[in-house]
Amino acid sequence: MSFDLFDAEEKVLEQSDSLRGRLTDAPEEVRKGVDLLIEAFGRSVREQRRLVKVSDRLQAQLSSLNHELARRRAEAEQALSDLKAAQESLVQAEKLASLGALVGGVAHEINTPVGIALSCASHLADSTAQMRRLYEADDIGADEFDRYMATVTDGSDLILSNCRRAAALIGSFKQVAVDRTSAERRRFDLGATLNETMASLGPNLRQAGHEVTIECPSGLVMDSHPGALSQVLGNFVMNSLVHAFEPDQPGRITIRVDQPQPDQVRIVYADSGKGIPAQNRGRIFDPFFTTRRGSGGTGLGLHIVYNLVTGPLAGTIVLESSTLGTAFVLTLPVSVP
Amino acid sequence: MVSDSLKIAATERSPEIEFDFGQGTLRFRGESYPEDASAVFGPVFVALDRFLAEAGGRNVLAEFDLAYFNSSSAKALMNIFQRLDGAAAAGTPVSVRWLHAPDDDTMREFGEDFQEDLEHVVFTLVAAEPTD
Repeated sequence: MSFDLFDAEEKVLEQSDSLRGRLTDAPEEVRKGVDLLIEAFGRSVREQRRLVKVSDRLQAQLSSLNHELARRRAEAEQALSDLKAAQESLVQAEKLASLGALVGGVAHEINTPVGIALSCASHLADSTAQMRRLYEADDIGADEFDRYMATVTDGSDLILSNCRRAAALIGSFKQVAVDRTSAERRRFDLGATLNETMASLGPNLRQAGHEVTIECPSGLVMDSHPGALSQVLGNFVMNSLVHAFEPDQPGRITIRVDQPQPDQVRIVYADSGKGIPAQNRGRIFDPFFTTRRGSGGTGLGLHIVYNLVTGPLAGTIVLESSTLGTAFVLTLPVSVP
Repeated sequence: MVSDSLKIAATERSPEIEFDFGQGTLRFRGESYPEDASAVFGPVFVALDRFLAEAGGRNVLAEFDLAYFNSSSAKALMNIFQRLDGAAAAGTPVSVRWLHAPDDDTMREFGEDFQEDLEHVVFTLVAAEPTD
């Protein structure tokens, strides 16, 4: 059963045609006028049918476009959340990798004082064994005893100072390692954290003969995430080592801290390397942007830096680079909100 | 025949239609932009014509709870309103409730437009949260 939406109009048209047939006696003027009216109404109904049809088609198109839009939007949102999850896991992997590098650095750094203490102890043992032989032979002269006493004094001093140094290093590494693996927020002395972090990176820097200067007002206490800050510095240093400094060319790294406002800390990390090419400066914080893909660059180092600075540290990061070197200016709240 | 009912389930493009002859209620709920409006509304016209012919002065309530409709659906609604207004003019008490979401100005204005052409039915605009 087909139903005409314009049924009523068609009926009116039929009726008007039959009315028109009964107007034979009316003046020609009237008949012509009614003819015109009937024709105009018929045209109007046809026009309405056309308009409804066109309008329906447009509305159907609009509706399918809306559905398509909603579908694509859902797809894009899904893709975005997948990407975020992937980035998150890459960031976690990168954190673990840098913790591995830290452990390697720690082993290297502690090796020196432990090695010195070991050789001193072994020297002391040798000297003592010799003294024991002389003692058992009842043949210790005043000169030998003086020399032995000097050896014991120097040796035990060296063992003591190197063991203290090793203990201090282990203490600071422990803090850095704990901070790196936890996102904990705590109050910390900024100067001490900077020094501990740079000490943990020491082996990488010293091997190549780079010079590190830290200028930080003493007693500057922050209430923030020291682990994030330490990771940021670590990534800066790795970038300076890999990108800024030419091999066999000793460079200079300076970290300057000041307070533009009482509730703000400005940390300027600068190296004396060759700078970042102008065409790359806009992209260095983009995830996966790297100029060293072939040699193991992930392109995540500065992206992680950016996320840490703008995320947990609640601050801003600005790049200043020229052929004379690169500087990153971090502006952070003393106390994160 | 008066105890008959017409019930058409909603589709993605057409509204749920319930016509309870016994209660004298006719309800539309959902969205309406079918490929062929006369196929969807045709059975309603037939049922409505038959019902109004036999209603004999009983109360009739028509409720429209539509979130969206296209042009041919609008034309079909106009046809329904004309039938209802005609029956009301002939003495059948007819009430129309036009529901729209409180923030949906377009649907409210469509309701006001339809209301202007109706002289004999009692027309009520109702701002209400969608039921589902």
